[in-house]
Amino acid sequence: MFKNIYLKATLLSSILLFIACDKDDAPEAENEMEVFTAAVIVVTNLFDNSSVIYEFEVEGHEHEDHEEHGVLNGSLIQNQEEDDGHGDHIEIELESYTDYKFEISFINESDPDNPIDLTTEVSEEAEDHHVHYELTGNEIEIVSYDGDTIDKDGFPLNLVTKWKTSTATEIEVKAYLIHKPVTKIGSTRMAFGGATDVELDFEAHVE
Amino acid sequence: MKSNYKILLPVVFLLLTTGNTFAQNCNTVFEGNIISIEENIPLEAAIVEVIGTENKVISSINGYFKLEDLCPDSIIKIKISHLNCPDYFREIDLNKSLFENFYLDHKVEELSEITLVDDKINDLSTNSRSFSLSEFEKERYSDSGLAVVLEKISGVNTLSTGNKVSKPVIHGMFGSRIGIIYDGVMLENQQWGQDHSPNVDLNAFDRIRVVKGASVLRYSGSNPGGLIIIESKPLKKIDTLYGKTIINASSNGRGGSIIGSLVSSNQNGAFLKSQITLKKNGDLSSPNYLLSNTASNEKNISISTGKNNNSSKIKLLLNYFNTEIGLLKSSHIGNINDLLRAIESDLPSVINDFSYKINYPNLNNTHYTASLDYNYNLNIDKKINLKYSYQLNNRKEYDLRIGDYKNIPALDLNLSTHSLDSSFDWSNLHNEFVNGIFFEVQDNYSTPGTGIKRFIPDYLKTKFGYYFVSTLNLKNGSNFGFGIRYEYNSNDVYKYYRNSRWENEKYEDRLGEYVIKEVLSQKLIRKKVVFNTFSSNVGFIKKFAKKYSFSIQHNYTERAPNIAEMFSGGLHHSLASIEYGDPFLKKEKTHKILVDFEKINGKLNYRINPYLSYIKDYVLAQPAGFEQTVRGAYPVWEYSPINSIFTGLDFDFNYQINENIKFKNSISWVEAKDYDTKEHLVNIPPLVINNEVQFTLGKLKKFNAIIGNKFVNKQNLFPNQNTISSVIENGKKIDKIVDISTPPDGYDLYNLNFNCGPFDFISSSDFYFSLSIDNLMNKDYRNYLNRLRFYSNDIGRNILFQIKINY
Repeated sequence: MFKNIYLKATLLSSILLFIACDKDDAPEAENEMEVFTAAVIVVTNLFDNSSVIYEFEVEGHEHEDHEEHGVLNGSLIQNQEEDDGHGDHIEIELESYTDYKFEISFINESDPDNPIDLTTEVSEEAEDHHVHYELTGNEIEIVSYDGDTIDKDGFPLNLVTKWKTSTATEIEVKAYLIHKPVTKIGSTRMAFGGATDVELDFEAHVE
Repeated sequence: MKSNYKILLPVVFLLLTTGNTFAQNCNTVFEGNIISIEENIPLEAAIVEVIGTENKVISSINGYFKLEDLCPDSIIKIKISHLNCPDYFREIDLNKSLFENFYLDHKVEELSEITLVDDKINDLSTNSRSFSLSEFEKERYSDSGLAVVLEKISGVNTLSTGNKVSKPVIHGMFGSRIGIIYDGVMLENQQWGQDHSPNVDLNAFDRIRVVKGASVLRYSGSNPGGLIIIESKPLKKIDTLYGKTIINASSNGRGGSIIGSLVSSNQNGAFLKSQITLKKNGDLSSPNYLLSNTASNEKNISISTGKNNNSSKIKLLLNYFNTEIGLLKSSHIGNINDLLRAIESDLPSVINDFSYKINYPNLNNTHYTASLDYNYNLNIDKKINLKYSYQLNNRKEYDLRIGDYKNIPALDLNLSTHSLDSSFDWSNLHNEFVNGIFFEVQDNYSTPGTGIKRFIPDYLKTKFGYYFVSTLNLKNGSNFGFGIRYEYNSNDVYKYYRNSRWENEKYEDRLGEYVIKEVLSQKLIRKKVVFNTFSSNVGFIKKFAKKYSFSIQHNYTERAPNIAEMFSGGLHHSLASIEYGDPFLKKEKTHKILVDFEKINGKLNYRINPYLSYIKDYVLAQPAGFEQTVRGAYPVWEYSPINSIFTGLDFDFNYQINENIKFKNSISWVEAKDYDTKEHLVNIPPLVINNEVQFTLGKLKKFNAIIGNKFVNKQNLFPNQNTISSVIENGKKIDKIVDISTPPDGYDLYNLNFNCGPFDFISSSDFYFSLSIDNLMNKDYRNYLNRLRFYSNDIGRNILFQIKINY
């Protein structure tokens, strides 16, 4: 008698086994919405108003065995991959004893046909963001400049800055966009805390 | 009502025989075992007597009794009495029964122990041995999570992300290599990676056991680390209503919990059990600073109902579990240089004022379970079991985001699982067998619109298979067990690959044919990944000289890689690293040999448990270079197969110094290596030594105190997985080592625990009080197995006050 019941149970389960289990709905692609994929610095000579645009964009995977470099997209004027100190850097050419306007902006190009300018969102959430330039020398003086966003507490975001050069030098620069900094007062990256949303490496050549 | 609570209950007749060929002279023998239902251990010194005669015997150290000189074909009335149990009466038809196990409600309100159990008694499997936590331990840690309680068992550690997200590690293995089974349902959500703690409330269940090794093939064949089995006690067939309330208040986090349960059962076998747990705490605190955003909430409800008839049992379980856990604010970092700064800084970057608010980043987990069990006894030694269960798990991870996505989860995963198991148990005088078939469908679905690529792809898993388990009880106190399990495992996976990854990995050759769609800079593939796995288990236990037991087991496990190991892809914020799966992983094959030598039944007892595992194609996340983005450089981790070897030893020792003082010690040691390169594996628990002295006071043992010490050595065996990163410091650009490898220093922690009770302030209620102090010396320490150890010290002193009321 038990065999009969057991057989039925087995049979029932076996039928279930042959039910085709396919997942038929292909999921929609997810677009990366607030990811920084590129940054642009527009450098304007405040003496003659000439501008150079530097684009920072890199997406790639560097394997230990097969060295693979980033995928470069079309450049505007100057475009070089930034590579964590191991490869070539973008070099920003500056003249000595001159004032420059640096305008930095951040872009999401996950969808190349529809790039999103994230600088607007950074400005809208002014309290939560801060741009900081960290330099290996002190021959350049950086201050916030006309057109910069100022947050509620009166701190400039440094989206627009004035770079005042002095003697000829080569200086390495890291530009950071910091999310939720603990403080907006400081001179080193360490002092600000928060999370780094963007970190760019370049060299400033003052001649 | 309370008096009924302690009435005894016979549960399952495991070994039975029929005999009717005896001569008419009264020389029939009735024998059996007396077993405590609470601790599942043999009861010594129970008096078994035939009512109305002088015929009585006392059960031996193994709980065994033998009544002789009985007349065949008669019905006798027996009475079983034991010091700590109410008397128990039964009628026995000697025509039908000559051997029977009696399960007594042996309720002792003193310090119970972690006990070793032969699981054949408990219907689990072959001769695997499990480690059971006492009700005392379970309730002492009722305010903590499951993993924390299990740490009391030697060989079990905890891998955590912060202080509230933790998962158990058994013999150095965790995640998919550990199975958690609650009321016969395999908990599905482990496969989501390291920072997913089990969604199960231990307070909803009565018994927690750990099986170190894959020997419970009835439930699972793919958990080489071991199994955690959480169960409810079978309920009594009597008219009764009883309940329990536990109130916890803790100083660290200024939190607490309320746990309530109510059980009603009827003479006709019907029962209803309901249970609720509410927990809340604010920001936890390390010895010298607050750990901002570590508040958490938990809400669990569990209801079970059913009916136990003589020949059949039916049970419905409904379970809801929800947690919301804040993750340490300062662990939200942007890139590897943020991690470097966190490692170099002694203090977390964000320390706010105390708050109960859970801000971002946080985790929100909801788990629903519905299960239906049906058991039918065809006759005394044949039984059919049918079980259906449904689980729905939703996990949301919130991150610090910008713009319109501020309040949208970065990850929103839904996992639903249907499973069906039908099994058949049969036994004869000495042997027990069970076999069964199972079927499971699992759907994983990411709610779209998160604005972040799926970390785990959408998939549908189909699993079915067969198992057979046998236990042969040999004559001389030994038994032999054997089991096999086969599983067919098919995954229908939809995975988006970024074109850059696709090209770097040269996937076109091997996955090109599966591409079904191309969008933006991504390719969607649909692939069916199929595994056939076969697991087996052989074991032997021998008991001798009434106090020694020796067992040896071999488990062979084949585990299909989980979806995360094959197809994950994305950023781990707290580690500033990118993780990738390997879609070509093979099944992981583990051989594990466990030896267990135990001395019991004396003032001085000990247990030595060495083990050795060799694993072919062990899936492990390994460093694989860097990924460059404008956000900075990210170290990449890829799952890849290695051959590994685990060796370890668990040691337990206890000594009853005198009637009131007891000393306990346990040592867990494990070492794991890559078999080929001899390099040590990451995240392997260091040497842990636990010592405890227990004092009881008074004849009734109404008061007891425990002083405990836990020593955790520095893990000196670790792989170098450091990376180098460039920073500007003191006006110079320099390369620095990001030391994610070096384990923190060892530490030792003291704890105190005072318990008193029962007191009957109100009639028919028992009150118990307890006060515990953890990290008594308020010591600063960091735990190697805590993934957030780079950001802050672990939690400091905690004073926990507990009131427990049984009614």
